[in-house]
Formats: sequence, structure tokens, C-alpha cells
Amino acid sequence: MNNRLPKQAGEWIDRSRELNFTFEGMSCRGYQGDVITSALYANGMRMVGRSFKYHRARGSYSMAGHDAHAMLTDGVRTNIRGDQVSLESGMNLRAVNTAGGLKRDRLNITERFSRFMPVGFYYKAFYKPRWLFPFHEKQMRKVAGLGAINANNAPTNSPKDYAWCDVLVIGGGGSGMSAALAAADGGARVMLVDEGLKLGGSLVWQGGGDHGGRVEPLAAAMVAKVEAHENIEVRCSTMAGGYYGDHWMGLFNGEKLTKLRAKSVVFATGVIEQPAVFGNNDLPGVMLASAAQRLMRLFAIKPFEQAVVLAGNDDGYRATLDLLDVGVVVKAVVDLRREDDVLSTDAMAQVRATGVAVRMGCGIYEAQARGTGRDRIGVAGVVVCPLNDDGELDAKRCETIACDGVAVSVGWTPNAGLLYQSGVRFVYDDGLEQLLPDVVPATVFVAGRANGVYAWTDRLRDGERAGLGAAGCLGEGNGEVGEGQDVGGRSKVAMSHGYPIFEHPGKKNFVDFDEDLHLKDFVNAHQEGYDNIELMKRYSTVGMGPSQGKIANVNSVRILAKLNGKTINETGTTTSRPFYQPVPIGHLAGRRFHPMRHTPMHDWHKQHGAVMFHAGAWYRPEFYRNGSMSREDCILSEAMHVRKSLGLIDLSTLGKLFICGADAGAFLERLYTGHFASMKIGKQRYAVALDETGVMIEDGVVSRLSEDRYYVTATSSGVAAFYREMQRWALVWGMDVTLINATGQYAAMNLAGPKSREVLAGLTDVDLSNDAFPFLGTREGMVAGVQAIMMRVGFVGELGYELHVPANMGLRLWERLMDAGAGIRPFGVEAQRLLRLEMGHLIISHDTDALTHPDEADIGWALADDKPFYVGQRSIAVMRKQTLERKLVGIRWEAGYSGPLPEECHLVIDEVRHKMVGRVTSVAHRSTLGYALGMAFVHPDMARPGTKIDIRVDGGAMSRAEVVALPHHDGEKQKG
Amino acid sequence: MKLLKCPVNGVRAIQEFSFGGAVREMPEGSGCSDEQWADYVFNRAGEPGVQREWWYHMASGTWFIAERETVSDQVIRTYLWNGDDAS
Amino acid sequence: MPFGLIKFGLSKKYSEPRMFRKVEQPRDAYDVVIIGGGGHGLAAAYYLANECGITNVAVIEKGYLGGGGTGRNTAIVRSNYLTEDGARFYQKSVELFQDLSRTLDFNMFYSQRGHFTMAHSPASLRTQRWRAEVNKHLGIDSEVVGRDFIKKMVPEIDLDCGGHQPPIHGALFHPPGAIARHDAVAWAYARGADRKGVDIFQQTAVTDIEIEGGVNMSGNVGGRVVGVHTDKGFIKAGKVLSAVAGWTPQIQRMVGLRTPLTIHPLQAMVTEPLKPWLNTIVVSASLHTYVSQSSRGELVTGGSLDPYELTSTRSTLEFAEGLSGHLMDLFPFLGDIKVMRQWAGLCDMTPDFSPIMGVTPIKGFYIDAGWGTWGFKATPVSGYAMAHTIANDADHELIKAFNLSRFGKFRLVGEKGAASVGH
Repeated sequence: MNNRLPKQAGEWIDRSRELNFTFEGMSCRGYQGDVITSALYANGMRMVGRSFKYHRARGSYSMAGHDAHAMLTDGVRTNIRGDQVSLESGMNLRAVNTAGGLKRDRLNITERFSRFMPVGFYYKAFYKPRWLFPFHEKQMRKVAGLGAINANNAPTNSPKDYAWCDVLVIGGGGSGMSAALAAADGGARVMLVDEGLKLGGSLVWQGGGDHGGRVEPLAAAMVAKVEAHENIEVRCSTMAGGYYGDHWMGLFNGEKLTKLRAKSVVFATGVIEQPAVFGNNDLPGVMLASAAQRLMRLFAIKPFEQAVVLAGNDDGYRATLDLLDVGVVVKAVVDLRREDDVLSTDAMAQVRATGVAVRMGCGIYEAQARGTGRDRIGVAGVVVCPLNDDGELDAKRCETIACDGVAVSVGWTPNAGLLYQSGVRFVYDDGLEQLLPDVVPATVFVAGRANGVYAWTDRLRDGERAGLGAAGCLGEGNGEVGEGQDVGGRSKVAMSHGYPIFEHPGKKNFVDFDEDLHLKDFVNAHQEGYDNIELMKRYSTVGMGPSQGKIANVNSVRILAKLNGKTINETGTTTSRPFYQPVPIGHLAGRRFHPMRHTPMHDWHKQHGAVMFHAGAWYRPEFYRNGSMSREDCILSEAMHVRKSLGLIDLSTLGKLFICGADAGAFLERLYTGHFASMKIGKQRYAVALDETGVMIEDGVVSRLSEDRYYVTATSSGVAAFYREMQRWALVWGMDVTLINATGQYAAMNLAGPKSREVLAGLTDVDLSNDAFPFLGTREGMVAGVQAIMMRVGFVGELGYELHVPANMGLRLWERLMDAGAGIRPFGVEAQRLLRLEMGHLIISHDTDALTHPDEADIGWALADDKPFYVGQRSIAVMRKQTLERKLVGIRWEAGYSGPLPEECHLVIDEVRHKMVGRVTSVAHRSTLGYALGMAFVHPDMARPGTKIDIRVDGGAMSRAEVVALPHHDGEKQKG
Repeated sequence: MKLLKCPVNGVRAIQEFSFGGAVREMPEGSGCSDEQWADYVFNRAGEPGVQREWWYHMASGTWFIAERETVSDQVIRTYLWNGDDAS
Repeated sequence: MPFGLIKFGLSKKYSEPRMFRKVEQPRDAYDVVIIGGGGHGLAAAYYLANECGITNVAVIEKGYLGGGGTGRNTAIVRSNYLTEDGARFYQKSVELFQDLSRTLDFNMFYSQRGHFTMAHSPASLRTQRWRAEVNKHLGIDSEVVGRDFIKKMVPEIDLDCGGHQPPIHGALFHPPGAIARHDAVAWAYARGADRKGVDIFQQTAVTDIEIEGGVNMSGNVGGRVVGVHTDKGFIKAGKVLSAVAGWTPQIQRMVGLRTPLTIHPLQAMVTEPLKPWLNTIVVSASLHTYVSQSSRGELVTGGSLDPYELTSTRSTLEFAEGLSGHLMDLFPFLGDIKVMRQWAGLCDMTPDFSPIMGVTPIKGFYIDAGWGTWGFKATPVSGYAMAHTIANDADHELIKAFNLSRFGKFRLVGEKGAASVGH
């Protein structure tokens, strides 16, 4: 590692901890604190990846994750970003998207055909003949994409968490630290986040020849003060990924997502250095000046032996001084600005004093490659030309300067992604040649270079102003415009060059490195009519790669503005969306909690062989395993046992509501379709509820427990939403009613079968004789020492009692019943479905759909139209003026039928007219009655019992069934 | 995530709430024509602007009214329902 | 070497012409004015000019072409709908799409991948069977498949969702399911319309619509269209089509029309580009999640509709969290894969998840709206049907069931189970 420098103040590396790793099979060494690209650079690897389309060699460009040149894989994780991921011991890394390794990437051959592949070329070919497109697409998909998935990776289990603060400061550079201190000193709880390993930002790496001087110790002191401050929580290596409403932030580090709520936010996010466009400006060795400075100061790496600096601002001279300080030979500073247009600065004077050649009013025409073809993996020199009056390079008067690298310092743009998301509006300032915040919402503050403030003393002051402002407002805003930026400290001179874009007609001049888009692509796209920024982006794909345009968008807007003859503000900019940098799905997913609900008898079911299934958020027994019987045999056996003897089913998931109060009855009258206000106490009635359009949404049983107390059951899956709507209706109707959702507080079970009365009688003193407790009656009493609501419902068609008890007593009652003997057996949901089907009882959203109204479902009898109002009544009246188009009927097959049988939702077909005339909603291939039966929608003309219908089954065969009156099973016995 | 102020429980995260649609006035069922009834049942204003709408705080079972600007998503105020001419 | 590209290598000069002319100022009058320069509006202009012989048409777009739903959707095309009207309608669209690259001479990247709607419960499987049966009756290729088939076609899927969710019971498999390059559809239709003389205006807003004889005696909306006011002046037109999806409420106010539309954002997100692995379109009805892999290699994924009305395309973190969790339920190894970007589009939702198309009580005013979360796949057929509807001043056969008047008659076309994953 011979390009490591002596210890740099503020360096991130820990020289006492050396780490071994491999890259492309080669052994390398680095230090703890290195990022992957700095470690590669230290090992002399200037080429870190191959570009997406042309597979050109690429090196570190920004050293800040603003480019995507270093995308690596270790076989497990992919698309690892080399600038952002810290080096770990034992990493085995390769570049993604190469064929045959980084050095010998065979796909570099694509570049030979680049003239056949102008922007949007793929829209112009590959689709004729049509049958050949899949082949072309397959090839394109293979060369597209970056990293590969590893389908064997175990699921991540990231510990997502929350955090809160008063003031969030994003960016731990000079202005950020200053803001944090100002707010914290005033007593605010501050969180300060920075994506870098340590605080300090550019104060650490942008020496400008002043290191060892004033800035360094001041920065170090600030860092120490911030870290020691009891009101400031510092999170480094943490990226603010997205800004969401009401100051809700997604903070991402290597391990997890933290969701943060702040009361006000200071954006001290700084600026992103921008590239210059010229011939072969993507060669490894051409990099941003800030990249070279980061290499030098954070990682103690000498970036070049002999460099040329391309400057469009004063920062270029400061970078030159930094390079000279570590022993880099600076062959020339090529300054895009004319002598007359520039006021001399300290940095310029210092550079001139060192004797480095300075070429004013010149630019770089081309970077010359070291090596040829696939092996163009470095810089051999640059071609420098003067600028003519039109701002173009005069190619006839060039000089070639040998060097092994170029440091590009032509300008900056605010790191504005999050600012846009927070509602900040930007305007391009022609004086500063930079976007500046123009409209800033209240409780949002912008400080530092993102606010156009450049001199480091000014930045500290600007940060302080923002910090105080943020601490002072603490959430007291309601979307209005605030005073969140101050224009006083802004730089008076341009810190960016307005058009650092020069065309070498014979070479590629890259604008978007991710997408391999060069200058000609934009001219061509514009020529084709994609002449506004959105169309340009979508056609050319500029800004759509992994860097999301951080170092491409500004130049693309400049190019388009020039092509259109418009200003930057007139040309506009594209919006910014989360995420600032790509974030792992695993971080977003977290630990994925999926709460499930158990009834009080859950464990009992499992211990007794129940096969459980998901019923919404609940677990319920589907059926109980019985020896080696098949599932279907088990279900039939359970159902038979209910018909012949005695069964018990857990109904605890049923919706259960208490409706109480003086207006309880009147409320039910309006809510449901039937009569309930005049029900006798101790009686029960089937209830259907409609929505305002007349569609059936709920059904259940209403029991009157007392004058002003009703007990109502509802569907397991619908009760929560129904209860919500009930509460709204009660409010709007202004009724004196109390609504209690007791679904989770009560367990319920149905004791069903001819032996139910005799077994229950042994456990209760309630008079169970038919006179005292008739069919469709409800009683309250003690059963096995438990206070219960007892209901004789007709759902399964056998003598039976539904018992509703407090949930904590559910298991006790269940066990007492199971112990009561008489051959009682538990039965599951499938058996119950069969039993109710034999009774012709519909299940909402099983036999009905999102548009079924009562007449279609043949329960028009449940509509009491003598009532003045119920929800949905008026809509029913409208629909009754139209002809009915379908009707729910019973269907059956003959006993001994051996032909094909349908599944649910197979269609009833009129073969003669080739029309769909109905649909099977419920079907049982075997029943306790000894023949297949079900329910179906049919056209009303076919609804007469005895009508033969044909149902198309799998494979196209027809199953012939007969319409019958419901119920299938004679339920009279249950009423005794 | 977005915050919303329940009039009873104060400022809570939006995931604690369920949206109940724009406040609409039900016409007198018997008096209105079929077209007027269908208009009430199905049609909505939908236009961006300040909308008076129902919200339900699930944790506490509280229905209330919010006045919210449907482009900026800014909630102007929230209050308990107090009859048809609540303000 | 695709022969279409050879010309680029042979000439130094790039001589590709403009896709569509830059017309500065609208004429005083057009036969038809189309409000909305998205896929639907441009497709309608194309078919008006190329099939109905009506070329004196202007398309007025407030922003940039295809900047609304057309540019924001996740580009899935299919016809496995539930109702007879719906399935027939979308099937016509699939047929138009299959040949669209050739018809418009532009690569739509129409890629038939097959489409799975996973059912995680018997109830969901029932709905899938219902769709399959209706499809089969109409000659549309769909069938219910079991776990083994799913695993064969999508080897990376975890059929049991790691035990976190109800397991996959089966799926509706629709081989013609495809993805396409959504922007290209808008551009190609624009070019096809422009070539026949249709004038297209971007960055031009319609500010009002002129109606003659508005509200009639019984208080109902009526009258006839006379023209539109724009920020470039008044344009006389006897026929005006509104094809603006999420912005329909603003247009309907201009003509005094009432519709059931409510506007909700629908969010989506995209990962970094990956080497190809997912060769089919996967939808989970129970997890409200869908995902496919674009030809660029990115996973394009989305979920259910935003729960409350909002005319904004903002994103939320909770959406990204929930969707990421469901993606990992289906594909547990995705934890390391990174999401690049999230965005949203506006969905004009209808009560029955079917569109609102055709003539209106205002003579000469036609509407193409109610596109909710199902609009992109209908781009060709909506343009086709609306063009014929406008030309004949009568609802085309394919869209009769979707007329706005259906709500007044309570004759909804219920597609909730098939149109969207959000319930």
C-alpha cells in the first residue's frame, strides 16, 4: 500500500487494525475505517467497475456515493456500494455486471457497436418480426441489470425502531454542528445525523491549504463539544433516506431503519459536487476534486502522482493546494474562467506562488486513455484548449499535458432531495449559478452550502441561525411559509460554473455515468421532440440509474435549457422522491410482526388433532384428524355425528355486540332490515344489514335480553367494520344507545345434535323444555357454573344450543361439555359449512358477492318494508323497479350420480345460447343426505324447482344438476 | 407518518385512524326522486379543495369531523360531530 | 443485428425526425378537442385520425405527454377480469397491445410474461376460479393452477410465506399477462396521431368548457358543448373528450357533471436493476402486493390504494414498509435488495372498480374516466372505443355497460375482485 499518506488529522482509518480482503480474486489489505473504494484505491486498484451499457472501465468519481461506479457483490449481498460500505475483514468482493471478471469483461465489446445504439435505439428495433422480440428481450434482460439475486439467502430480521427529538439536524458538517449546538444550548433535544463515519463534513477534508491552520482544531473542538453535549444525540453512518409528512423521517444505517418524529428540521445537507463534461471524462483517474480530497484527508491516500486540476471556481485552487501538500505534482490548473472575470483570492495567489502553471480561460477537450480498448483503465494525459468567445473550446489550439489523473472542480448543487420532499421550493440563481431555497415551510430550516453559504465562518453563523430558529418554533407551524432560510450569508461570487459542458465530436462526453449517456444522446433526444425535462428524462433515462441523477441532473437541465434557448428556471427540474440512497428491503420490512388471534380453546383444539387454518386474523379448526381417515371423510363423519348424536364447535370468533339503551330497539330497526323494536324479551331473530346501496353486508342473530338490552351476533370478518359504521349511525341519528363490541370478551360454542338437550340439562338449572325455551329463543343462566347467554339457533339444522360465555371461562365450559359424555365429538368449520349448506343457509361473501341484494339471495322476506326507514331501503326500492337478473337457489344431484361435480364458482351455462347464466356458490360433493348438493345463482327463469341446469366443470365437461327448494335437510326436528 | 388530531385523544399517528369519506347530507328518502337518491348514494364532489370528512380513531372508537385540504393534505381543524349544521 | 439499427451506424448525422410537431398556437376551431395528453387521450386521437377519418383534432395537455397515470403505473396488461363486460373489454385491449409495436412502428417492449394471482385462502381461490371460468367462456386464456405449478414457474417463491401469512392455496394463471414500456405507448400514439394531422399541445391548460343551454327544466345537467377555454385562447369545438383520470373532478365541475369519482394516490416503488430472475408477473390478492421485473432489471412493485382521498403524488414510509414486508413473505431472500425510488399516481376510483366511459347528458361531451388502478392496460381499447363513440355520437358496443348513467340505475359492473389488490 505505497500510496498511503502519513497520518491525516481527522482521518477515518484506524491504522492499528489492518483488514484482509479480496477483490476480483486478488488479495488486498485495508484498514478499519476504510470504505471499500478507498481500500481498493490504497491497493492500487483504480478501476472498480464497468459501466452499465458500454462496459467501460470506471473508477471512484465522487468517493461519496454520488456515483454508482463501485457496485460490488460478495456472493451473498449484491449491489454493495463501494463508497458507503465500510471494509470488513474477510470480504470477498467482485464487481457486478461483468462477463469474465472486471479486467477481461467480454461485454466491453458492446462499445464497438455504440454507433448503432444511439439514445432510445431500442425503441426503433427488435419488434419486427413480432415472434423474434422475446429472443431479443431475453438478450437485453441478460445484459441489463447489475447484481444478481441469491435465492438461498436467509430472510433478514432487521430490528426496526423509533426515535423522537425536538430538532433534527441532517448533516454533521460545519453548519450542521453549529445548528445542533445552538439548538441544544437552548434546551432543545437534538438529533444530529450524518451519513459519514465521523462528524465534521467538509471541514475535515476540504483543507484548501489551511490544514494545520485555523479550521482543523476548530472543527475538532466542535466535534468534541457536540459529542459531549447532553442534549445532542449523534448518529453517524446514518442516512436520512426520506422525508415524510409532519417531520416523519426514515433514518437508515447498516443495521436497521429508525423512524423518527421531529418537531422541526434543519437541513445542513451540503452540496454535491458536479462533473464537467468533456471527451472521455469517465476514465478511471478522472474524479471530482472533493473525491481526491476525501481520499487524502479521510483515508490518507495519495490520489495521483501527476494531476491536472480543472477549475471553474475557487474550490479548485484550494484542492490544488491540498494536492501539493501531499506531494502530488500538479501539472496545471485549467481554469474555465477568464482572467478578467475573476477576482483573485488567497487560494489563487497561493497556487500561483507555488509556480504551478495556471491556464485561464481554458478547458479540457479530452482525457487521453492509458491502454486501449477494454484496457483503457487509466488516464495518460489531457488535451487542453482555450475557450473562444462563444464559450466553446478551440480545438485547433490545444496542448497535451501528461498526467495520471484529473481533479474536477467546476461546481456544486444543493443536496436537495430531502428538501424537496419537505416542501422547499428552489429557484436557480444566475449569479451563484446554483439552485437556492426560495420557499421554505414553517418549521423547516436550511443552512450552509445548501443555502448558498460557502465561506466556512459564514456557514457556522448560518447554522447557528437555523438552529436557533428550529429550536424556537418547535412544531408551531401549519403549512405556511416560514423564515427558514436567510439570504444574508450567501456567497456573492459564483461557486459553480454555469455550463461546464464541452463537446469533443469524436469521443464520448458523458453526462450520466450510471446510464452511459453522453452529450450527443441529449442533442438527439431533443431533435426527436423530447424537448421538455420530463420527456427528456423518460426517453433518455437520465437520472434513472442507481445514483438517481445526483451528478447528472443539473447538467442535463443545462443542456436542455441551451438547446431550447431558455433559462434554467424556465426549463425546470425533475422532482425528488425517496430514497436519498437505495435502502434494503429488509430494513423497510423489519421483523414483520403478524399478530394472530387465538380463541380460548385454541390449545385444546391442537392437542386433540385439529387441523387449524387462517380465518382472517384468527386460527380456527378446519376439521379434527380421525385415525387415518382422509380430510373429506373426517369432515363428513363430523357432520354425520352432529345429525345423529352430538357435536361441539368453537364459535368464539363470531362477532358479538351488545346494543343497550332507551333507543336500542329503534336503533336496530334503522340499522337492520327487519323488525326488532317489538321483539319479545327472550326471543331471537335472523338479521340482515345492508349498505346504502342495498347490498347485503352483514347477517347474524339479534336476541332481546331485556327491555333495553339486545345481544347481536355478526360475521367474524365483518364485525370490526360493521361496529365502526354502527357507531357513526348512532351519532348521526342522535340516538340514546350504547354499543359494545364484545367479540374478544366472549367465547362461544354450539352444542348441536339430538342429544344436546339431555347433555346440557345435566349442566344447567335453566328449564330446557321446549315450552320454556323454544326454538329461536334466548335465555341467560348458569351453565357448568359459568354465566352464559344461551341461544337456540337454526344454523346447522339440529337441536342445539349456542352458548356465549366470558372468554376466560370458555375453555372451562368447553371441557365440561366434552367431559359430559354421550359420545360428544368436536366438529370444525368445514363440517359446519356442510351442515348449514344442507339447511340452505347462505354465508355472506361466500354465497353473496359485492353486489348481491336481498331479492337476489332470496331473502326478500327479511325486508320489513312497512318500516319508515332502514339503511339501504330506498336503494332496494329503486332496484325492485328493475327485473331481477339472478336468484340464489338450491341444487342437487341424484344419489349415486357418478359424473363430474363442480367446484364452487364453476358456472351454470346455457349451452344452446352459449351464455353464462349462473354460478355455483356453495357445493358439497358428499353430504349427510347421501347425495351431492349445493346452492347456485341462476337466471330467475331457471329458478323453479325441478329445472335441470348444466354446470361447466374443469376440462369443459358438463355436470347436470337439478334446482330444488331449500332447505335440503328437513330441519323440523330441531324445533322441538 | 402523518399526524391527525383526535378531538378527544389529541394528536396521534394516522395509522390509528380510519377514513370515513366526505360528509354528505342524506336526502329525505320518501321525498326524493330515484335520481336524487342515486346521486346521494354514489356521486361525490371529489374536487380538490377543503373537504369536510369523517374520520374514526380506531383505538378509542371516536368518530369526528376533519376539515382537510385534499391537495396539500393539511388538516385545518378537527371537531366532534354536533348535528347537521355543526361548525 | 436488428436491421433497424444499421442506419445509425452508417451516417455521421443523426437524422431522426421529431416524434410530433411543435405547434405553437391552436386553431380557432377543431372538430374534436381532447382534454388530456396521456395514453388514453392520445390513443383516442390516434384512432379518430387513423380509423374514423377525423383528423381535425386537438389534444390539450396541461403538463407533458403521458405525465399523469400513463407515466406512473406499473405497466401490467391483462384481461383476466371477472365480469363479461369487463373481460371482453380488456381482452380487446390485449389484442390491440399484442400487435401495437408493429401497428405504431415503435417498440412498446410488450413482453408476455404470464400473470399469477395468488390465492392464500379458499375464499380467494373461489374468486380466482370465478374469473377463470368467465375468461374461459369468452375464450380468454386463464386457469386455476395449484401449488406445484406455481413453484415450477416461480421457483423462488415461498408458497408458505415463512409461516407468517396464510399459505398459497393456488392461483389464477393468465398466460397472456404482459408488461410494457408505458411511456412508449404514449409517445407512439402521439406520433401516429400527429402524422395524420392531429395537433398536440403540451403545457396548455383548459380553464373552462363552454356549454350552451346548460341546466334544463327539471334541474338536470344538459345542453351541448360549444368549445373550450384554454390559456392559449378559446377553441370552438362541437365535440370534447375528457380523458384526464385523476383530474376529472376539475373537468366535471366545468360542465356541471356529477360522478362517483374519488381521488386516491396509488404508490409504487422500484429496486435497483438486477440480473433477470423473475420471468412472470406475481400478484398476491391476499397480501395486496404485486411485483414484476422490468427489462432493465428493476423489480417494479406496488400494493393497495392509499386509504384516504388525496390529490397528491406524495409517498409514505409506511407504504414502503408494508410492501417490503409482503415482498419478503413471498420472496424471503430479498432482504438485501435495495429500493431505489418510490412514487405515486392519482387514481380516480369508482364504486364498482369499472371505468366511466361514453356519452354524457351534455351533447358533444364525452368522458373517459374512472380508471382507478386499472387504466394503463386499457389504453388501446379505451382510445379505440372512445374514438368510435365520438365519431358516431353513440357508445361503442364494448363500453355500453360503462356509461355514467349506470349508477343512476344501480346497474354496477362489479370488478373489485379482479381490478385491484386493495380491498
